[in-house]
Amino acid sequence: MLTFALRRLLYAIPTLLIVTIMVFSLVRILPGNPALLMLGEEASPELVAALNRDLGLDKPLYEQYFSWITKVFQGNLGESLRNNESITKVVLEKLPTTLELAFLAMLVALVLAIPAGIFTAVKRGGAADSAVTVLALSGISLPNFFLGVLLIYFFSVRLGWIPPSGYVTPAENLGQNLLLMLMPAVTLGTGTAGVLTRFLRGSMLEVLTQDFVRTARAKGVGAAGVIFGHALRNAFLPILTIFGLQLSALLSGAVITEQIFSIPGFGRLLVEAVATRDYPLLQGVVLLSSIAIFIVSFLVDILYASVDPRIRYQ
Amino acid sequence: MKVFVVAGILVTFGALATFAQERTLNVGLDADPPNLDPALSSAFVDRQVQNQIYDKLVDINPKLKIIPMLATAWKVSDLGTTYTFTLRPNIKFHDGTPFDANVVKFNLERYMTLDTSRRKGELASIKEIKVLSPTSIQLNLKFPFAPLLAVLSDRSGMMVSPAAVAKFGKDFTNNPVGTGPFKFVERRRQDRIILENTNTYWDTANRPNFDKLVYRPFPDGDVRAANLLSGAIQVMTPIDPKDLKAIAENTRTELASIAGLGFQGIPLNTTKPPFNNKALRQAFAATLDREAIDRVVFQGSVTPAVTPFPPGSPAYTKFFQVNPPNLELAKKKLAEGNQPNGFSFTMLIATGTVNAQLAQLYQAFAKTANIDMKIEQIEFGTLLARADKKDFDALALGWSGRPDPDGNIFDFFVTGGVSNYSGYSNPRVDKLLQLARQTRDIVIRRDIYEDALENIVSDASYPITYFQKVNIGKLKTVDNLPLNPDGIMRFKSVKLN
Repeated sequence: MLTFALRRLLYAIPTLLIVTIMVFSLVRILPGNPALLMLGEEASPELVAALNRDLGLDKPLYEQYFSWITKVFQGNLGESLRNNESITKVVLEKLPTTLELAFLAMLVALVLAIPAGIFTAVKRGGAADSAVTVLALSGISLPNFFLGVLLIYFFSVRLGWIPPSGYVTPAENLGQNLLLMLMPAVTLGTGTAGVLTRFLRGSMLEVLTQDFVRTARAKGVGAAGVIFGHALRNAFLPILTIFGLQLSALLSGAVITEQIFSIPGFGRLLVEAVATRDYPLLQGVVLLSSIAIFIVSFLVDILYASVDPRIRYQ
Repeated sequence: MKVFVVAGILVTFGALATFAQERTLNVGLDADPPNLDPALSSAFVDRQVQNQIYDKLVDINPKLKIIPMLATAWKVSDLGTTYTFTLRPNIKFHDGTPFDANVVKFNLERYMTLDTSRRKGELASIKEIKVLSPTSIQLNLKFPFAPLLAVLSDRSGMMVSPAAVAKFGKDFTNNPVGTGPFKFVERRRQDRIILENTNTYWDTANRPNFDKLVYRPFPDGDVRAANLLSGAIQVMTPIDPKDLKAIAENTRTELASIAGLGFQGIPLNTTKPPFNNKALRQAFAATLDREAIDRVVFQGSVTPAVTPFPPGSPAYTKFFQVNPPNLELAKKKLAEGNQPNGFSFTMLIATGTVNAQLAQLYQAFAKTANIDMKIEQIEFGTLLARADKKDFDALALGWSGRPDPDGNIFDFFVTGGVSNYSGYSNPRVDKLLQLARQTRDIVIRRDIYEDALENIVSDASYPITYFQKVNIGKLKTVDNLPLNPDGIMRFKSVKLN
């Protein structure tokens, strides 16, 4: 187990190095010039040249890459082109917000998906199954930007129950924080809930036909015991994989959700970085997201063993 | 357990009580102001926040008249090359350091010499800055430059604390210090900028009656409007055309509108086909139905235009009328341009629904003369880069506007001008625009501009289509918010009920 984990971590180093090179080059392939964007209405050629010099963008690309990557290894993501803020600081400030959103969205997804998945598997083929399936499919197909605006319209403008958008940190006011996060979490979580429901249903259906389930029933285990004690645990393995994959979907979904609800998280930062061609900021955000996705898939691999004792790591 | 519940309730009430005592005005903007250092700022939205933190040497009133601010009086020499300012005494920055003539010299020199200063162009006419006494300063110009006072009523006239610049260096933008009615407390990127009432502002008649001024960015127009309608913010600008009615008719909110200083139009690339052909530019320009733009896209909330000077501008002239589309003329010009059966071109537009609607309307106008216009909607950064490389046929672009007429015309139409996207060059126009900025008498200036505009409108390198209005939505509990054509909300006089 430990050797497996260490080996996975070692493999990650070249992968992440390749990621840094890709991130660095992709960002620069984007058409547009940060100096031109920052200067906007006042972009005289002399000023553009002066600003490029000041930002170090006139240096050869390999030189820019090496100076960036050296800093990265020292734990410093550089400074934002826009206002000289430390990117490490900005990113660390925004990360918890998006993690909270992703966590709450996942919670919404699980709360909806687990009962729905079990229910549709057990009541397979009935009208209820079809109804839940339609709901799950609409959850998957309904785009974030539409559902978000719809929720704002009903709950904020029409009913006036929830403030339409904004953010306070949990430390400032936990109740207000959760209230404000409710609509974004639902917006973001419903898509994942739909996917999870479908997978859990399929996986449950398969498990419910297995011999050990029949044996359990024959031994006289009650319906609930069979479902929760035997079937669900086994049906959960594929779900874990999906769960890991969905986290990256949540991170990208957060980009849109945060934009709609004006949540100052990672996603808003990313949109801003692209729109202003803030290269170091964009590199920092994308690099950290890649690392986050790596960590999650790593943890999922480790978790397999605890969910399924048959899996042993060499 | 019960103890915890009771304690929890008490804490909540305590927190509510503190909230109740602290009066906050929340303002919704369309973007997070990128840079609060006037030397480095180039976004319009920056000025919304900067104007609360910094005082300027002079200000403009809603009629665009220059009024005193940190300078109480000024004298201009007959030739227009010497400006002498008398400064307000006993003013202190938020960090406690004093404001005097040396501070003015420091600021102007910083704007003029800092390697990456965005103010260099505006202050290029200044030759020498002389401190006459702690409350008197003289600017000697290289040549007469009529827009100077108007320039000093904007970012170039904002006075920042030299001590804070020395202390924070490049990070001054994140720690701004001025002499304005509000001092900077904190900024959380993409979240909020918090300012605090100093309660010691020199203009005692205009002290705000609330404690905190908070700016929050809402890039989405729907969400911005929803926040105002639900009362989560008390003031917002800009407003999407479709939300104007809802805000005007809601019982809790009201809409304030005034003609703005900016303009919108269509730069046509005169450096390559098809629009290097003047007759084809004129043909396309003749198809534009400006009244329809106002009616269809903006629901009557903009003003149709043909020149870059809006009705409030001192250079505004009735000489140029907005004509209805003229198909006969368009056809004649097409024939003159050797394209009697029409031609085709692509218009670049930035993302956004309004931009798309506008472009579709332009497309429909062009179609009437058999001109095939394609639309390419691209992200703003890419659009700017392509405009800079002259890699386009036509663009939909605009300008936020400046109080002095020069700021609305010079850089757009002078050969090699910073905003001359069309690549337009007309020696006569160059000469007239130079002459106008050196002429102080506004009546004479207006004549010079009229002459220049005759060429500009006829050459059709940048057909202007409409003037935007400044639209501010606010709750009825917000009183005394002056409405200024520059679109900047000045909160010092605001009373919160």
